[in-house]
Amino acid sequence: MFYREAFARALREEMTRSPRLIVIGQDVGAFGGSYREFDGLYRQFGPERVRDTPVAEGATIGIGIGAAAAGYRTLVSITYMDFMMLGLDALVNYGAKLRYKTAGALTSPVVVKTTAGALGQGVAHSQCLESWLMSVPGLTVVAPSTPADAYGFLKAALRADGPVVYIDHKRLFPIPGDVPLEESLLPFGQALVRRAGTDVTIATHSYMVRVALDAADQLEGIGISCEVIDLRCLAPLDMATVADSVARTGALLTLEEGQTTCGVGAEVTARVYERIGAHRWARVGALRAPVSSNPVLEAACLPNAENVSEAVSRLLRK
Amino acid sequence: MTGIRSNEPDAIGRLRVMMLIRAFETALAMRRDHGFQLLSTGQEAVAAGLCAALRDDDQMLTGGRSIGLALARGIDPRRLMAELLGKVDGPNRGKGGRGHLADPGAGFFGAHAVVGGNISIAAGVALAKKLDRDGGIVAVVFGDGACGAGSLHETLNIAAIWKLPLLFVCDNNQLSVSTPRAEVLAPKKLSDLGAAFGLSAQTVDGTDVETVAQAAMALLEGVRRGDGPAFLECISHRFAAHSTTARELRDAAELARIRGTCPIVREATRLRAAGVIDADLHDALEQDALADVSAAFAFADASPYPDAGEVLADVG
Repeated sequence: MFYREAFARALREEMTRSPRLIVIGQDVGAFGGSYREFDGLYRQFGPERVRDTPVAEGATIGIGIGAAAAGYRTLVSITYMDFMMLGLDALVNYGAKLRYKTAGALTSPVVVKTTAGALGQGVAHSQCLESWLMSVPGLTVVAPSTPADAYGFLKAALRADGPVVYIDHKRLFPIPGDVPLEESLLPFGQALVRRAGTDVTIATHSYMVRVALDAADQLEGIGISCEVIDLRCLAPLDMATVADSVARTGALLTLEEGQTTCGVGAEVTARVYERIGAHRWARVGALRAPVSSNPVLEAACLPNAENVSEAVSRLLRK
Repeated sequence: MTGIRSNEPDAIGRLRVMMLIRAFETALAMRRDHGFQLLSTGQEAVAAGLCAALRDDDQMLTGGRSIGLALARGIDPRRLMAELLGKVDGPNRGKGGRGHLADPGAGFFGAHAVVGGNISIAAGVALAKKLDRDGGIVAVVFGDGACGAGSLHETLNIAAIWKLPLLFVCDNNQLSVSTPRAEVLAPKKLSDLGAAFGLSAQTVDGTDVETVAQAAMALLEGVRRGDGPAFLECISHRFAAHSTTARELRDAAELARIRGTCPIVREATRLRAAGVIDADLHDALEQDALADVSAAFAFADASPYPDAGEVLADVG
């Protein structure tokens, strides 16, 4: 099953299960979503529950949160993560704080689903901003990398009590993979060892998991054994899995498609240090430049298997 | 005046509500431990008039300037005072505090002190009401400051397209902190913003509680019928500075002129002239309001602060 189909299946199952689950966003209706990840839902559930919105991300996220606080569950689709900024007020200032400021009287079971990452669409359609959201108390942030995780985490997100930001990646939608035949949910805050290894731990998430696995294949050829950890959930972070791995391998390389400054890797590295003290470490991410739609410059800006392999080799020579 | 005429016992109730708001805010502002508060002194008629048009199964959302609106909606003054002073017997255990009170069970879905930040949230609550077909509506109250915010314009559009049961209420006190409305907002009337999206829209004198109540009731008739959202602009005057810690830049003459527009004096005078109340009843109503405020302080003072250990409770 393709990633986008796994997403649609999870949403279809949850909408069938709960008549109070609604979807709002741009092009989620008859069009079926920019990546066809909403295929068939409009036809099955109709315009009352699958609602196209105008270009108004701020109000759309606010409406999703308000309806959720008033007894519904909402999935809000924000086509690209770059546009999340337009709705951060409602998400961060209201949704993430609602349970706290009402002492539990109100919660907002909303999922803000968005798509990050570069695929030739330029400086304002390519960003990975997940690290911004990790620091907000009250937000859950998931970033699946496989169809099975897309399925399991979306279902979990749609049953969660508070706001969840669910981050796809453009390059993941057409990727196939096995998805459990039985209905199943994945718990937040559990990282997964995608590949066991002994020399270095690569902690990463989303599409970069695939890049890390490619790099691990290359490095195996020169005798370096990589353990690749898919963080899967960025808030809460499963630090036990990462720290245990680093304690075994003795080296940590963090890999992300976004910026390394105040990035996911910076946070993971600091927390590993807090848990188990100093180990060799390195961060790999985008260069400090906007991500151009120019194919040469886009590729030059972002990590790939080759420069991850080089970074690992450098790290282990230290 | 013409149109729907509320009956006089309700008029006395509205006067009483306005007196309570005035007494409550005046006393609160004199407390040394109140912190920072956004008062609505001078704007009581908007709160009392609007709430007269709301029913139990409606919801109200407001901006940060919410004390008068919460009292008019019927929130227990004792619990409100506890919340504003950060005490555990407030509806939100003192964690919401000033600008963030929520008591959804009492029809006050909540205040939110980001200007314009509650408008789209209110549309979401209205969407839930529409889907529930429960007959209730949502009123969202914001100031003229929010009329420059994109959230209002985006939400007006979606609310109109989806025919949400939502009444937009602009309590236009004509000042955004220090900035006069005329200097920063282009529309001739702020209700024109609603009209541009096809809403029934009206601008009224927000210092006359009867006018506000009648206009709200008239607009809500259509909203309740399913015609879609409506927009009510109430022109009011804020007697005090933006907040209890903000500088007052208006000069004495202007303040004296503004304070001459007191909605409570206006309504009391009208009711006296109409023979609905006499001097004794007027005084009794004022004493009642003061007694409520004393009881509110006693309740709040007896209530403890939350334990510091609660800092991590209900985070996520």
